[in-house]
Parts: sequence; structure tokens; C-alpha cells
Amino acid sequence: MSALLSVRDLHVHFPAVGEHQTPAAAATRAVDGISFDLRAGETLAIVGETGSGKTTIGRALLGLHPPASVQGSIRLQGEELVGLDETGWRAVRWQRIAMAVQSAGTAFDPVYRIAAQIAEPLRVHLHLSAREADARAMALARRLGLTSRHLRAYPHQLSGGEKQRAMLAMALSCEPEVLIADEPTSGQDVLSRAQLVALLQAICCEQGTSLLLISHDLAAVAQLTERVVVLYAGKLIETGDAAEILASPRHPYTWGLLNAYPTMTTARDLRAIRGSLPDPSNPPMGCRFHPRCTQAVARCRVEEPLLARSTGVASGGERLIACHLGGLQALLEATALRKAFRANGQIGRRPADDGVEAVRDVDLVVWEGEVVAVVGETGSGKTTLGRLLVGQLVPDAGQVRFEAQDLFGLSTAARKRCYRRIQFIAQDPFDAISPRLSVGKVVREPLEVQGIGTDDERQARAREALDAVSLPTDEGFLGRRAHTLSGGQLQRVAIARALVLDPKLLVADEPVSMLDASEQARVINLLKDIQSARGMGLLIISHDLALVRKIADRILVMQQGRIVEAGPAGRVISAPQHAYTRALLGAAPAFDW
Amino acid sequence: MVRRLIGYLLTLWIVLTANFLLPRWLPGDPLSALLDPTSASYVYDAEVRAALAAYYGLDRPLLAQYGHYLSGALTGDLGRSIRLNRPVSGLIGAHLPWTLLLTLTALSLAAVLGLLGGALAGWRRGSSADKVLVTLSVVISNAPVYFVGTLLLIVFGARLRWLPLAGGRTPFATYPSLLDAARDIGRHLVLPALTLTLATMGSQFLLVRNSMVTVLGEDFMLVARAKGLSSGRLKWVHALRNALLPFVAHLAAHAGLVITGAVFIETLFNYPGMGRLIFEAVGARDYPVLQGAFLAVSTVVLGANLLADWVNQRLDPRLRHV
Amino acid sequence: MRSQRQPQPKHKRGALVFGLTLLASVILVAFAAPLLAPYDPHAFVGRPLERPSPTHRLGTNDVGQDILSELIHGARISLIVALGASVGTVALGTLVGAVAGYVGGWLDSLLMRGVDVMLILPRLPLLILLAAFLGTGLGQTVTVIALLFWPTTARIIRAQVQMVRRRGYVQMARGFGGGAFHILIRHILPEIGPLIASQLVMAAGRAVVLEAGLAFLGLGNPAAKSWGLMIRFALNLPGLLLTERWLWWLLPPGICITLLILALAYVGIGLEASLQPRLEGV
Ligand code: SF4
Repeated sequence: MSALLSVRDLHVHFPAVGEHQTPAAAATRAVDGISFDLRAGETLAIVGETGSGKTTIGRALLGLHPPASVQGSIRLQGEELVGLDETGWRAVRWQRIAMAVQSAGTAFDPVYRIAAQIAEPLRVHLHLSAREADARAMALARRLGLTSRHLRAYPHQLSGGEKQRAMLAMALSCEPEVLIADEPTSGQDVLSRAQLVALLQAICCEQGTSLLLISHDLAAVAQLTERVVVLYAGKLIETGDAAEILASPRHPYTWGLLNAYPTMTTARDLRAIRGSLPDPSNPPMGCRFHPRCTQAVARCRVEEPLLARSTGVASGGERLIACHLGGLQALLEATALRKAFRANGQIGRRPADDGVEAVRDVDLVVWEGEVVAVVGETGSGKTTLGRLLVGQLVPDAGQVRFEAQDLFGLSTAARKRCYRRIQFIAQDPFDAISPRLSVGKVVREPLEVQGIGTDDERQARAREALDAVSLPTDEGFLGRRAHTLSGGQLQRVAIARALVLDPKLLVADEPVSMLDASEQARVINLLKDIQSARGMGLLIISHDLALVRKIADRILVMQQGRIVEAGPAGRVISAPQHAYTRALLGAAPAFDW
Repeated sequence: MVRRLIGYLLTLWIVLTANFLLPRWLPGDPLSALLDPTSASYVYDAEVRAALAAYYGLDRPLLAQYGHYLSGALTGDLGRSIRLNRPVSGLIGAHLPWTLLLTLTALSLAAVLGLLGGALAGWRRGSSADKVLVTLSVVISNAPVYFVGTLLLIVFGARLRWLPLAGGRTPFATYPSLLDAARDIGRHLVLPALTLTLATMGSQFLLVRNSMVTVLGEDFMLVARAKGLSSGRLKWVHALRNALLPFVAHLAAHAGLVITGAVFIETLFNYPGMGRLIFEAVGARDYPVLQGAFLAVSTVVLGANLLADWVNQRLDPRLRHV
Repeated sequence: MRSQRQPQPKHKRGALVFGLTLLASVILVAFAAPLLAPYDPHAFVGRPLERPSPTHRLGTNDVGQDILSELIHGARISLIVALGASVGTVALGTLVGAVAGYVGGWLDSLLMRGVDVMLILPRLPLLILLAAFLGTGLGQTVTVIALLFWPTTARIIRAQVQMVRRRGYVQMARGFGGGAFHILIRHILPEIGPLIASQLVMAAGRAVVLEAGLAFLGLGNPAAKSWGLMIRFALNLPGLLLTERWLWWLLPPGICITLLILALAYVGIGLEASLQPRLEGV
């Protein structure tokens, strides 16, 4: 299928404004080398946060920027649009490419009636008579759910949603080849959003109009479109089949974006991608996402990743991403893990024997920067799983790969180095921390064991870790004996001890179950904060679905040594598939819908 | 609209009352002084003095004075001029048309020029023509009217001798035809009207230009451009039509400015309008004339406000349906 | 691009600098008038209507006073009126505006109704009327101007006070039990300070225009010869415009007034522009 609209290496750079205008002053690079195709009859979504350049692209397609600021190529049916003069653009605007702008509320001239404004392009471009133009405007508006009362009204008399529909009617009036719809549904309530887009697609289909949806809400538009283009800070970072991107985002940013926006079904607290969008006049070197990326490597800071076909995607649809590492990395990957205990509690050599199989054939992935919760009842095998993952137990079968290295295939020394990057937080801090040691000693201990740094450095790192868990860092507190602390404080000390080695993954086994209710919420939020600030992975093992749903990106449900259900937290909570999950949900005490 | 009308009537009443109370309350008691043989402003002409005493009726109770004053004002009796010993209403009747001629000419000229200039300068904002026009407007609208008028008078009247130096028409002229009358009056009108136009155009221009710039930044202008409309349609049908709203809204305030300018210009050009009347009355401390003139000018300005309100409502649908 | 906030344009800052420089020179001249002026402006130091000469650089007027000395001393009159009238206007306006904006309710409606009425009235005829009744002393002129022109300021201040009043910290202060006076002084006054400054400048400019205008209309104070009064006296000479006298008698005071008004206007424009982001931001 040949492309109707073909954008190649599009740049939109606005000159620097302001009085400190030197020739060298950086221009705002709103759109920086973007290419995509829109095929005839297709719906394509351009997705990004505010400031990603998505609206700028929409305007560039209509030639609304000063000509000097646009470079690259925009071809409509093979015809080059970049470089057209105003007269040339006028022939394209609205007749061939029309746009429904985001700010429908202020998009109408306040002194003319809606009908006249919808009919205006019909009269100007198609030279229809006033009556014909009105009739056509009316017919279109009707289909979009407006009445003649709305059309006779002045803009200020319509609600936001009505104006948006009128805007769409206006944009469709000349039956353009391409309709750019910039957040066409932002004024509508959630239910009519889907309806409105469906209606829009139906009309576009009849008219032979291709639809370019511009939105910030990846999850919402991916369900409505065939293909998606994801932008970050003026760069295209991922593109491909909409359903597949929704199911398995490959770029860390896309992944974060999907997690950052609560859909109607998300019960989880809103998870933001750490940091914020870069200043568009001074974007970071290398990969523009690297200051926020949890898996950035040295190369990301200096070299810009090119758009390339992504590995690791099964389907035939073309998926392109811009990432040096080829996309989101698995931090920890376990395949076909098995572990059995003898009836007498000793470790069995032959799992098929009469022993109890605690972990049966478990597959599990923790992506970079992800929070995964393993949920199950006591005896479901979840604790054993955790201990296998951190190397406290050796599996009977299966593999554990950490940062792409097979842990049990490594030499002991190498494995020890790896385990430095995986830290474990146990359920019972009173058990895990010697009551006779001072706080300082406890936190410094891993450093001493690993032989890292001088005494002073160890002390400094211990302080830093204690600060991260919001504990005092003065001499007095460092000198306190562990047994004088409360449970909550002690668990924080345990977390600080885990953090002191700057791990890449935290595995926490029921980290808050010994604490009272208010402490529970505080410590769990603390864990989440630390995780997103440091860009770590976090694996939480818990029996409490209500608690983990607040922070987990994904939830795995474990029963009798098997994973019986796995999926995004929102889906597992709102639409549990497995009976056991439903039972767990029913049993969850503080579940307040 | 009815509420507006009531508001204006109320304002008119306040003006009338203020006009009544001010001279009676102000320190120095200027009215009694007219009748007091020991004061400097004593009116010597016995006939005029009697008329004044009857009109002001200072020996009667305040309320009776007020009633007399109000009924007089409503029936057109505004007292008699001390200087000329003629009814004030007659004087106003003779002077007001000249002022209206002058101000309406200048107002329309300033409006048209300000509107066109402002629209074009706003459209080409930032261009050198825009910058020059803005600077000129700031300078001219800030220079005192009579100073600008004097300079024009010197150049066109005294040096080039193209136009008459003063007056509203040639003294003692008789006109064979209406056309001759119009030509003579027109020739006398040119300089004062030009001065007044220049003096008031600047603020019109700046207002239109700035609203134009604001309108051009609005979303609906972007959409209009995206709709592929011609630049003429963008400029005149959409941008200017919207920039017109603040312009009309300010037209009334502008009428006040024009009247103020007219007072100075008529004084300078010896133009036989209200300004000249006021100036001469000031010189003679002719209070009845000053008060009458104040009333007349206030009424005209209130009327202009009412008219502007009405036009504004016609133009802006947002004001119509609230 | 709508989303791109324009920083303060360069020419606005230029306006401020230009205005301030000009204003400063006028102030300097006014202060140093006795040192700068060659003669006492009221003394009859020459023959009437002398042409400019080394002894009288701008000649003499119709009664033989030195025009240059009149001009230099005239700066004082203009500035005194500007200062007095602007302070009076803004003080009244701020008082009314702050009370209306802060107290709200019926008091606000009442005050604003009054302001509306005063804003509609043609104020020059009223000004003339009042000046004629009250006499032409400098004090009277200043008072009359202040009495007539405070409503503009009141309206602007009221709007700003209303905005500030709705802010969180003011609400908090009220919550602490802070009295109206405390809040006005501690929280609101600092917020509207810059606005008051720009209002002062504008009122000053207007006062200069009005004083000169009154003088031109014959309501000037002969004891305090302002630039406006000089123009009036010059024009009183029959046939002035037909000779060259206007060049040194009428032109200089005209230019001086224009420059002073322009200076104040430019300072006002500059101040307003620097206030702009503030006003937009709230
Ligand atoms: S891994 Fe590197 S290239 Fe990939 S998204 Fe992160 S920072 Fe960019």
C-alpha cells in the first residue's frame, strides 16, 4: 500500500526568542527529524506528552509555521508540500488536509454563528452557494450529534463538548484527504470518547479520509487506531502496530507512558516517569531520554540512537524503535524454575520424589525500572521463589538470568559480584538484624563484607542510605542499638542496608507485614519512591493484593507453586481471570472501590 | 439595555445635582459673591444682578432652589450670562452645533484613520512601518493639543496662508449659494479638525493595533488560517472584525477625549463652539455659562456613551445573550 | 506559537530608559533652577519683546522678563503639580480601590457605581468649572485634579486587590485571625506596590497636561509661571504667529511640556511592560 501522506526527516526549529539573542543561541527544536507514513484510509496516532512536538507536526502539515522554520519533506500523494508559498498552501489547507485543533473552546471566531463558520470553507474552497453550504454543514453537524439550535448559536453559547463536535464538523466539511484531529475528545466524558472516535472513523471511512489522531493518551488511542507513532522531545522513539505496542511496549519511554496514564480500570496510584521533559531549546546529548531512562548506559549519553527494527517482537508487523539497547531490557529473567523440599524439610535431590514441590515451572521477568508483585497465600511457594531469585536457594531446574547473565552458570566470584546488585529485604526485621549491633554497623555491614571503600566512605554511604529512607543520620542515631528501635524504624534500617550497595534490583518479601497499618502504607510508599528515584527494579512478594496494587506495574498471582495469572496491575485487579485471583481479591481486607 | 438607560439617566441626575450643589458648597461661596458689593466678582449691571438673584434664588431654602433649578434645567432655562446678558440656553444653542461639526468630523476621521492604520500596523506587527507609526502615535497623542495646533496654524495659516487663521466662517460674509457657505465653513474647519484628528488619532491607532495583535494570537485565527482563507479574509473578516470590539467599546471614552481636545482647539482657533464659549466665560467668571456648558457637554457625552453601548451590543454577540 | 511566552521586548526596556533619562534631566533642571537661570523670572530685566541675544538667549516677553529664566523655573511648577496631583490622585484611588476590593459587598458596589459615574463624565469641563469656582492657586489646581482623576486608579487597584485577596496566603492570614488592616499592610500593599508606581507615573503625566491646559485656558496662577502659562501669554500677544517671535517664545515651552509628558509616558509604558508578566501570571 503506498502512502497517502509521507513525512520524511521533518524538522521544525523555532528561532530563539528574547533579547539575549546571539547567533549561537539554541533554537527550539520542536520537531527533530521525524518520518512516518499515513496510508490511504488508515488511522494513525501520534502520541506524546505536552511538548513532545506532536501539535507542532500537525501544524507543519498545514504549513502554519513560518516557512523558514520547517525543513524536510512532506508529500501528499507524491506532491511536495514543504516550500509551498501561502497561495500553494491555501489550496492544500482544509480541502486536502484539515485539522480539528485541540483547543476547540477558543477555535471559533466569537462574533460569527457556528453555521457560518462551518460553511465558510465550503464557500471559499468549493464555491458553494450560501444555501448549499449551509445544507452540507447542517448534514455533517447532525451526524456528529448537533442540532440546528447549535448551529444557529454563537460559539460562547455552546459547551466545550459541543464546540468540539462542531470543530470536527468544520474540519470534515470539505471532505479532506487527511484529517488531523488533535485531542479530539478531551472535552468529552470517557464513554462518549470512544463513541465519538468511532463515529469519526465511520465518517472518515465514507469520505475516504485518512485520520491522523494526535493525543497524549497512548492507552486510549492505541485501541482506536491501527498504527501508533510515539514521540519524545521532538524525536520519534517508537512506532508500530497499535495493538502490539499496547501489549508489549519496547521502548522504555513507551513502557513508562503506558504505565503513567491511568486508564479507567487502573486502581493503582499514578506512576510518573521519573524526571521531566527536557528543555526543547537545549535537549540532552545522545538519547534524549537518557536522563530519565532506568537502563541508560554510557553510550546513551553521547550517541543518539537511530530508529531501527526492534528485535524481540514476535509478530510480522513492523516495529521500529530508537534505543541503543534495542528496547526495554529484562533485568531479571527466570525460566522454568523448579524447587522441591523433602517431606522432612530437607532439600530434595529428585523433585519427582515424594517431596513437596514449592516452586513448579515458574517463568518470570522483571523489566528495567519495573515494580512486579508476586501475590499468593502462605504456602503458595512465593517465599521460596524469592529466595531462589536472590540466590539463597539453588533451583532444582531452570535458569535465573540477571542482566542477561546466567547466575548459576557463573563462577562463584562472578556470582557474588552479581548478587551485590540484587538485594533482599526480609519480612521480619527483628530476625534479619542483629539486635546488639548499632544502626551504623548494620548499614555498613554489606560494604565491609564486600570490602568496598575506606571507613569514611562507608560511613558516608551509610548516611546517604539512611537519608534515603528518611531516617536521622546523626551520630546519636548511628550509635543506637537495633533493639531500641521500633518495627518501622528497623525495617527502614533494613532497607537502608539493602540500598547501601546501590543495587539494581530489590527483592522484598512481605516487607511490611510485621508493621502496623499506618506504618505499612508509609514504608510501601517509601519503597516506591526509592525505586522510581533510583530507577531500580522492585520485586515485591506479598499476600496482600490491596497493598501491592498501589505500587505494582505488574502482578503475578501464585498458587501451589505455579503462576496462575499475570498481567498489568490494573487489569488483574479490575478483570481477574483466574478463580484464585478473584478469591484473593474477595479476601482483601481494605479493598475500597 | 433598559438597565443601561436607567443607569445613564441616573448619571444625568447626578450631573445635574452636582452642578447645583458644587457652587453652593464650595468654599468662598462664589455665587453670593456675585451679589455682594464688597467682593471682587460683584456684578455691577443691576439688570443682570436681578436676573441672577432670581435664577439662583439664594435667599430661599435649598430644596426650593433645587426644585427651581431642576425645573429650569428641564425646560431649558439655564439662567442668563453675566457677560453677555443673554439666556445661557440660547448661547449654547448657538455654539453647540459648531462643536458638534468639529468633533464629529475629527472623530470620524480619527476613527477611520486609526482603524485602518491600526489594522495594518497590527497585521504587520514588528515591521519598521509599524514601529515608526507606533512611535509617532505615542509622541503626537502626548503632545498638548494646543501646541500641535499652534504649529499647524503657523505652517498652514501664517506661513503658507492656505487656510484661515481663526474663526468658524468669514466674518460678515454673505453667501450667494449654499455651496459657497459650505466651502467657507469647510475651509475654516480644516485646520481645527485636522489638529483634533491628529491629537486623538494616536490613541485610536494604538488601541486598534494592540487589539489586532491580541486577536492575531488567538486560536481562532490559527484555525481560520488552517481553513485556507485568503489573507484579505483573515485580515478584514476575522481579525479586524474582532479588533473592532474594544475599539467601539472605547469610542465613548474617546468622545470625552475629543471634547476635551475641542475645548483647547476652539480656544486656539477662535472657533465659535462650546470651547470658545467656555474660555470666554472663564475669563469673565461667567458662572451660569460655565455651568450650562458643563451640563450640555455632559449630556452629549452621555448620549455618545449610550450610542456606543448600543453599537457594541450589536457587534458582539457575547454581550447580547447573557 | 501561542504557547511560547514572549519575554519582555527590547524596545519596552528602551522606553523605560529613555523616559527615565529625560525625566531625570527635567528634575535636575528644576532643582538647579536658581543656578541655571540667568535672571529672576519675575524681574523686568530688559525691554519688552527683545529678540534673542547673548544677554537674553531666548529674548524677553511682552513685559521685559527673560524667557529662558521663565522656562527654567517653569520646570519647577510642572513638577510640583505633577508630584502633588499624582500623589493625591493615587492615594485617593488606592484607598477607595483597596477598600472596595477588599471589603467587597454593598460597599464595593456603591463605590464602583460612583467610580463609573465619574469615569463617564467629561472631566475637563468639570475641571474648568471647579477651577473657576475655586480659584487658580497651585494648591487648588492640585486638589481639583486629584479630586477628579482618582477613579481610574481606584478601578485598577480594586481589580488587583481582588485578585490578591483570593490568594492562598491571604486566606491563610485571615484564617490566623489577621485583621483587615494587618492584611492590607502586610500582604496586599506589597503586591500592588508596582502597580501603584506605574499609576503614579501616569497620573503625573496627566497632571502636567492638565495644569498646562488650565493655564492655557486662562486658569493658571500668574504667581507661578508654568510652561502652559507661558504659551498662554505668548498667544495673548496679537499677531504672534505672524512674526518670528513664536520661535523663541512659544516653541520652547511647547517642546518642554511635550518632552516632559513623553518622558512620563515612556516611563509608564516601560513600567507597565515590566508588570505585564506579573499581571498575566495571576
Ligand atoms: S537505553 Fe539508552 S538509548 Fe535506550 S532509551 Fe534508554 S537512554 Fe535511550
